[in-house]
Amino acid sequence: MTEIIQLSAGLIGSLCFGVLFNLRGKRLPAAAFGGLLSWGLFLLLSNVIPNEPVNYFIVAAAASLYSEIMARVLKTPAAPIVTTSLVPLIPGGSLYYTMSYAFESDFGKFLEKAVSTLKLASALALGIIAVTALSHVLFKKGCTK
Amino acid sequence: MEKLLDCVMEIGERMLISGGEVHRVEDSLKRIFDAYGTKRTDIFIITSSMVVTVHTSDGKAYTQTRRITETSADYEKLHRLNELSRSICKNRFSPEEICAKLNDIAACRKYPLWLEFICYAVISGVFTLFFGSGIAEAAASFIIGALVRLIILVCDKFVKNRIFIKFLSALSATALSYLALRLGIIPTVDRVIIGAIMTLLPGIGLTTALKDLLVGDSIAGLLRTIEACITALAIAAGYFIVAYLTGGSMI
Repeated sequence: MTEIIQLSAGLIGSLCFGVLFNLRGKRLPAAAFGGLLSWGLFLLLSNVIPNEPVNYFIVAAAASLYSEIMARVLKTPAAPIVTTSLVPLIPGGSLYYTMSYAFESDFGKFLEKAVSTLKLASALALGIIAVTALSHVLFKKGCTK
Repeated sequence: MEKLLDCVMEIGERMLISGGEVHRVEDSLKRIFDAYGTKRTDIFIITSSMVVTVHTSDGKAYTQTRRITETSADYEKLHRLNELSRSICKNRFSPEEICAKLNDIAACRKYPLWLEFICYAVISGVFTLFFGSGIAEAAASFIIGALVRLIILVCDKFVKNRIFIKFLSALSATALSYLALRLGIIPTVDRVIIGAIMTLLPGIGLTTALKDLLVGDSIAGLLRTIEACITALAIAAGYFIVAYLTGGSMI
C-alpha cells in the first residue's frame, strides 16, 4: 500500500513540477513517467542494496539514461526531463530533519543528517553526470557543417 | 556581423534565463558562430554574465557582454531556443530572421496561474503522503501549499529580493502548519512542513550546481552552490523563527 501511494506520489509530484517548469506537449508525460520510473527503481533497489546514496546514484544514472533516450526521441534537451524525473528523490525530508536537529541543538544528529543530505545530493549529481558524460562521448550530437 | 552577434547573444541570454546549463549555452553559441564561419570565437559564460568575442575572417573583432540578473525555469522556451539554434546552424538565417523567430519564442505561453496554484497544492499534499502520513495531514498540506503560492504572488509585487521571498514563504508555511497543529486538525507537524516547503527547496539548484562543478564550470558551479545554500538557509531561518516562537514542541 505504501508503495502504491509513493509511486503515485512520485508520478503526480513530477507531473506538477513539470507544469511549474512549463514543460509542454509530449515532454510533460515523458517527465512525469520518469518520476514514476525513478521512484519505482529506488523502491526495488532498496530491497537489494541497503545503502541509500548508492541507490540514489544508480537511480540518477538510470533516470539520466532514460532522459537521454527521450531527448533524442522528442528532439529536446535532456536536462529538463532528468531534473523533473528526479523530483521524488529530492532530499527534502532529510533537509528538514537537518534543520530540526539544528534547532534542538542536537549537533551529533545534525551533523549526521547534514552529511547524509549532502551525500544524497552528490550521488544524484554524480549519477546524472556519469551518463551525460558517457552519452557525449558515444553520440557526438549537434549540427553538421 | 555586429547584428548577428547581437542576435546570438540574445539567444544565449534567453537560454540562460530559461534555465539552460552553462556548458549547453556555451556549446550552442560556439556551434552557431562556427556555422557562420568566424575565424575564432571566445565565449565565457557564468550564471550571471556572458562575454563573447568573435573574430571575423577579415581581421575584425567584435565583443559584447550581457548581465543576467534573474533566472526561472521555463523549459518550453529552452526547448524552442534549442530548436532555433540548431536550425540556425543548418539554415544560416539572417539576423532579421533570427530576431523575428526570437520574438515568436518570447511570446510563447505559460500555464495559467490557477493551474500553478493547484500544482503547488498538489505537490505539497502529495509529498506529505509520500513521507507516510495520513489524509488529514495531506489535506492540511494541500491547502498550505496553495497559500504558499498566494504568498509568493503577493510578495512578488512588493519584495524584490528572491531570497527574502523564500524566507517569508517558509516562515508562513511553518506558521500555518503549527496553527493547524494547535487547532487540532493534524496530529503531527513535521511531514506537513516537509510537504509545504517541497516547492521552495533548492533541490534542483543544488543538483545543477554540483553538476556544473563536476563538469568543469567551476565558477558557475560555485555561484549556484552558494545560491542554493543561501536559499536553504533562508528556508531554515523561516522555520527556526516559528519553531522558536511556538516553543519548539516538535517531532
